[in-house]
Amino acid sequence: MIIGPKHFLILSAVLFAIGVLGILSRRNIVGLLMSIELMFNAVGINFVAFNRYVHPEALWGQGFTLFVIALAAAEAVVGLALVLTIYRGSKTILVERMNILRG
Amino acid sequence: MMEAVFFGTLSAMVIVPAVFVVTVKNVFHAALWLVLCLVGVAGLYAMLAADFLFAVQLLVYVGGVMVLLLFVVLLSGKPSDWTGRQTNEKTWLAALFSGFLVAAIGSVVAGWAISSTPAAQPMTTTSGLGKLLLTEMLLPFEFISLVLIAALVGAVYFSAKKQAQ
Repeated sequence: MIIGPKHFLILSAVLFAIGVLGILSRRNIVGLLMSIELMFNAVGINFVAFNRYVHPEALWGQGFTLFVIALAAAEAVVGLALVLTIYRGSKTILVERMNILRG
Repeated sequence: MMEAVFFGTLSAMVIVPAVFVVTVKNVFHAALWLVLCLVGVAGLYAMLAADFLFAVQLLVYVGGVMVLLLFVVLLSGKPSDWTGRQTNEKTWLAALFSGFLVAAIGSVVAGWAISSTPAAQPMTTTSGLGKLLLTEMLLPFEFISLVLIAALVGAVYFSAKKQAQ
């Protein structure tokens, strides 16, 4: 059995769907951030797999994955600082309790 | 054959911890499962001959982002937030939607005519990536440094205690 691009694409689709499931079902905001990391990684696998099998002579897919990783790090820094600030203010990390803007 | 064994092991190492990340009750345990999942993704990068990304994934994600996540899990939340129910009432709907997503993407991918034999690639990608980042990708490369600075300043601003008026 030869491992081809389709295997990687299906794997990353499953990983992305698990991330979506986490986003939609978690109550804890840190859990939501972890699910977002899962989705970023699924996208990264896709980029690198396409780079390897469609344009093996170029490195643009890997370059974009580098940017995705850098942006994920930036997102994690800002997101976690926001989580700490929200927790300090409202004493909860459950997303359904964060409803002070509710009309 | 060897490749298939590697791929099977790595995909199990990615998918099973990922399921635990979104379902396990204790968020700290979920973060630890996420470490395993990210290491598996790094292994997949190595399988795809992306050696520099393999190292970056381990350094930035497993070394940096995960430590940050574990810090925040420990700094935030009352014990009651950790022992209660961790998923909302519509989890079955979310699972249905995720299954639909996998089926849709899978049916599209299965119908693709895409060659499955990779051409030969240079042994290391690091020098090529360095050249790419400093020539054709120079503009996004500079912008990402701006984004990182903004993220640093923003994180310090948000998490600093407000001075008493």
